[in-house]
Parts: sequence; C-alpha cells; structure tokens
Amino acid sequence: MGGSAVIAGNVISGLLLGGMFALCALGLSLVLGVLRLVNLAHGVFLVVGAYAGFYWLHETGIDPLVGLPVIALAAALVAAPVYRLLIHPVMGRTAEAPMMTTFGIAVILENLFVLVFSADTRSIETSYSTAALTFLGVTVPRIYLIGFVISVSAILGVHWLLERSAFGRDLRACAQDPVAAATVGVNVTRVQMATFALGAACAGVGGTLTGLAFAFTPTSGPGYLLNSFAVVVLGGLGDVFGTLIAGIAIGMLQSLGGMVFGDGYRDLVALVIFLLVLVVRPQGLAPSRR
Amino acid sequence: MNRAIGVFGLICLVGALLAAPNYLGDYPTEVLFRLLIGVILAEAWNVLAGETGLVSLGTSSAVGLGAYVMIGLLNFTAVPIGVAIVLAAVAGALLAILAAPGLMRLRGLYFTVGTLSLAEALRLVMINGERFGGATGLFLNRDSPRMATLVRIAVALLAGAWAALMVARRSRIWVTLRAVRDDEDVAAQMGVRSFRVKIAVFAATSAVMAAAGAVQALKLGAVEPYGMFGLGWSVNTLAMAVIGGLGEPLGAVIGAAVVIVSGEWLSDYPQAHLALTGVLLIVVTRFAPRGIAGLSGILWAKLRAHRRPLS
Repeated sequence: MGGSAVIAGNVISGLLLGGMFALCALGLSLVLGVLRLVNLAHGVFLVVGAYAGFYWLHETGIDPLVGLPVIALAAALVAAPVYRLLIHPVMGRTAEAPMMTTFGIAVILENLFVLVFSADTRSIETSYSTAALTFLGVTVPRIYLIGFVISVSAILGVHWLLERSAFGRDLRACAQDPVAAATVGVNVTRVQMATFALGAACAGVGGTLTGLAFAFTPTSGPGYLLNSFAVVVLGGLGDVFGTLIAGIAIGMLQSLGGMVFGDGYRDLVALVIFLLVLVVRPQGLAPSRR
Repeated sequence: MNRAIGVFGLICLVGALLAAPNYLGDYPTEVLFRLLIGVILAEAWNVLAGETGLVSLGTSSAVGLGAYVMIGLLNFTAVPIGVAIVLAAVAGALLAILAAPGLMRLRGLYFTVGTLSLAEALRLVMINGERFGGATGLFLNRDSPRMATLVRIAVALLAGAWAALMVARRSRIWVTLRAVRDDEDVAAQMGVRSFRVKIAVFAATSAVMAAAGAVQALKLGAVEPYGMFGLGWSVNTLAMAVIGGLGEPLGAVIGAAVVIVSGEWLSDYPQAHLALTGVLLIVVTRFAPRGIAGLSGILWAKLRAHRRPLS
C-alpha cells in the first residue's frame, strides 16, 4: 500500500461522493431553472431527508435504502402544499418575496428540529455505513459506492422523466417561457408545484444518503445548501447532466483539497469554487444545451 | 421647517439615549445596547436592500471581520478605541469592494447566495487559521468598558450613521441610486454608472456593519468564529429589516424592537424565538410587503381619512 493507493482512494471516494452531491443539488437546480426561485430551504429539505432516514430505521428497523421510495413520496406530498399555500401566492411579486418565504421556512424548520430532535449530532447506523470496500488495492467506504449507484440511477430517472414524459415536456416548456406555455394550455401553476415537489423528493433521497454517509445536526442545512449551490452554478440551471458532472467534479476537488490542505478545508473548496465561478463564468461551465 | 424639526428631534433623541444609562438598571441597559446594535445593522441592511434591491445574507461577514479587526488592533497596537472602530469600518468597506466584482456580476438572487457563501467561507478560514486563534478565537487583553460607555459608543455610531444617511439622501448619489434600483438598464442608458453606485452603497453599508461588529466585540471582550461569523447575525438583520419595513425610514427601529423584545420574552427558548421570527418573516412578506412601518402608515392614512368628515 503506497501513497498512490491512498491518492487513488481519495479521488475515487470524491467521485462517488460527487454523485451524491449531484442528487442533493438536483432539486435546487430544477426549482431554479423552472421557477426562477432560489430555494433557500433546500438545505433544510436535505436535513429532513436525513432525519427521515434516521427515524425510518429507528421506528421500523427496516433498511433505510428500502424506505427511500417512501421518503421521496412523503417529501413530495409535503412539499406540494407548502409550495401552493406559502410560496405560490408571492411568486408574481418581486423576485425577493418567494426567496424570503423559503428563507422563513428554512429558519422555522431548522429551529423546530433543534426543539424536537435536540441539537445532538446523529448518524444513521447500518452495517454498511461504516464498512470499507477494497478493490484492486483501493479502499473506499462502501456507503459511498451504494450512494453513488442510487444517486446516478435517480438522476437518470429524473432525466428520463424530463425528456420522455408529458410532464417533462410541460416542465421544459415552463422553464423556457412560462407565458407561452400557459398560452398553449399548460397548467403552469401545477407544473411549478410538481417541480417543487420533485425537487423535494430528490432532496429527501439525497438527504437520507448523506445521513448514511455522514453525521448530521439540525443546523447542517446552510452547509448542504451552499455545497448544492456550488454544484448548480458549475453545472448550469436546470441541466440534469450538467449537475451530475458538476457534482462529481466538486466531490473530487473537495477530496483533493482535503488531502492537500487538511480536512478542515474540505467545505471551503466548494465555496471557493462557487465564488470563482461567479466571477469567471456566471452562466455555468457547461455549454448551454438549448 | 419640517427638516429643522426633524434634526432637532433627532438631537433630542440622541441626547436622551446618551443620558439613558444613568437612569436605567443593568438589564434594561443591556437590552438597550442590543437594540442599538440591531437598529444599526438593520438600518444599514435596509439601505442596501431598499435602495439597491440587493438582498444580503452576508451581514455576518462584515460583523465578524469588524470584530476580529477590533480585537486585533486593541491587542497588538496602541490605537484608541474610537480609531479602532473607524479602522474596523474601513476593513468592512474594503471587504465589500474586494468581494463586489464576484458578487455583483449577476443581478439579484445570485448576490444573496454569494454573500451567504462569502460569510461561510470567512468563517471556515477563521476556524482553520491558527493565526486568528482558530476555533477558540481571540481574547481582548484588557477589561471591556462599562455597559453605560458601550451604550454611548453605540449611540454615537448610530447617530453618525443616521447623519451620514441624512446628508446622502439630499445628494446626487441618492437620485442615481433610486434610478439604478427602479430600472438599471434605463439608468445605464442615461449615463449612470450603476456598477459604481452599487459598490459604493455596498461598501458604505458594509463599513457600518463592521463598526457594529467592532462595538459588539468590545462588549464581549472576545471573538470566536462560530459566534461572530455565525448565520445568526445575517438572519436577525434580514428579519429586523424586512419585518420593520423595506425602504421605510422607521423600519429598522420597529423591526429591531419587535425582534429584540420578543427575543427577551422568549430568552429561555431561543429556538422558539427564531422559529417565530421565521413565521413573522413569511407573514410580513405575504401580507405586508412594506413591513410593520408600511402597514401602520396605511392604517394611519385610513384613520385620518375617516376622521376628516367629522372635524
């Protein structure tokens, strides 16, 4: 086992982790791309996913991975009325009003979590959440590989939904021009609500996977949010494959950054990338698709 | 005439605030100090958001920077407190000027997220940077001034900021500011350099916030990254300004009073207080876009319109 195996392990860990980052960021990207809404509650949605996985295991004893579809569905069913009742009424006003509302939601949820679940650090304990996997002399945490496979499958699923289904066609129409979409008979409000719900479902799954891989607290939200934002600006708004590639890039850069500068700087890497992208190429690094 | 009354009233108010610590107990003085810091931060935030349309979630980066500069200057140099506060403000302005090219490349919403990530980045640098005391932070190498003195420093800072605002409101800059806010493209067509105007406001408000952070650090006698660069500053400042009323002259005062006083009532349940702040934020955004100040203005106008036929 030389230094090269450690470096390879780090790079591959980063790559696998990046797949999870991409799923975590996908909802933020879709909501931003379709609704032109900065969802500041997205980080808290990820924390919701982590707690959902934690209590799923705690209450049912069934593997959280089995519960993922249930968590996704529940997240979507809760998010849809939240959008319809709280966010949609202020959508037509200034750009700040809906963002401020999502910020209020984030503040409320984060503090309710501290009150209800306590500020304790939690982690979802399963047989595979701490186990290592060695392949060709390279060691990575097993949960990273599981998370990567599930995340990429989910992302491909969302891609298929957007490209092949009637809902996806409506969604793409609303992203391009909501007024024109409404003129030809698309129910824009319903598409927006469904997009928000879809984003929350992705966050639910991504949050559970994150909770399996890392410890979390009720106040993890802002960190998750900023990490997701770095992925979104790098990948381009509403671009599913761009998000996947950007997530993997950021995962690998974080791993390398942590290896070179020390673990404390891991989170800083994403923030620096985010700020640099804003300066250098605010339209995102991916070439625009349409 | 109205203006003279306004200036006279303000001078009386400042005098009353300067004298207040002599007549108040320890606890009310402490609350008054918090209120003053809150008003200063919310006022600065309100000017930035109300006049340029830039919604910042990075108040903590200016507050934290000001606090660290303050403790550093007092510990390692012989500058008097007043000068140290001014230098902390300069540092806040420099931070804004350095960050502006990145943050202001895109309009509106990206600015918000950019400021948030700038604050988090600074916090991480402070936590990991041993030179700045790491996670434990830095301690002031002398006793903090008395609470009464601190209140007076805060009053002086607020009065200075208000005076500067009153002067600025009558200047050419203010007109260009309004033009940029209302329609940036048209303003640019008319020859207004919107980018410069925005940077100037961003720098000025950041300087005021950094000065407030410096005074807060002087009170605490210590700084640490989790507190001084914590999201709490950004959340509370935004909440105070929005609940009070965006762009309303009295908005910051009303908002700070609501947030700080409710915080004192719920002082045993800080999370419940923050959650309540979130609820207020949503309710005000939905039903009173110009905040409590705007709402009371409308009610007052209705009341007067109602009474007129009787008199």
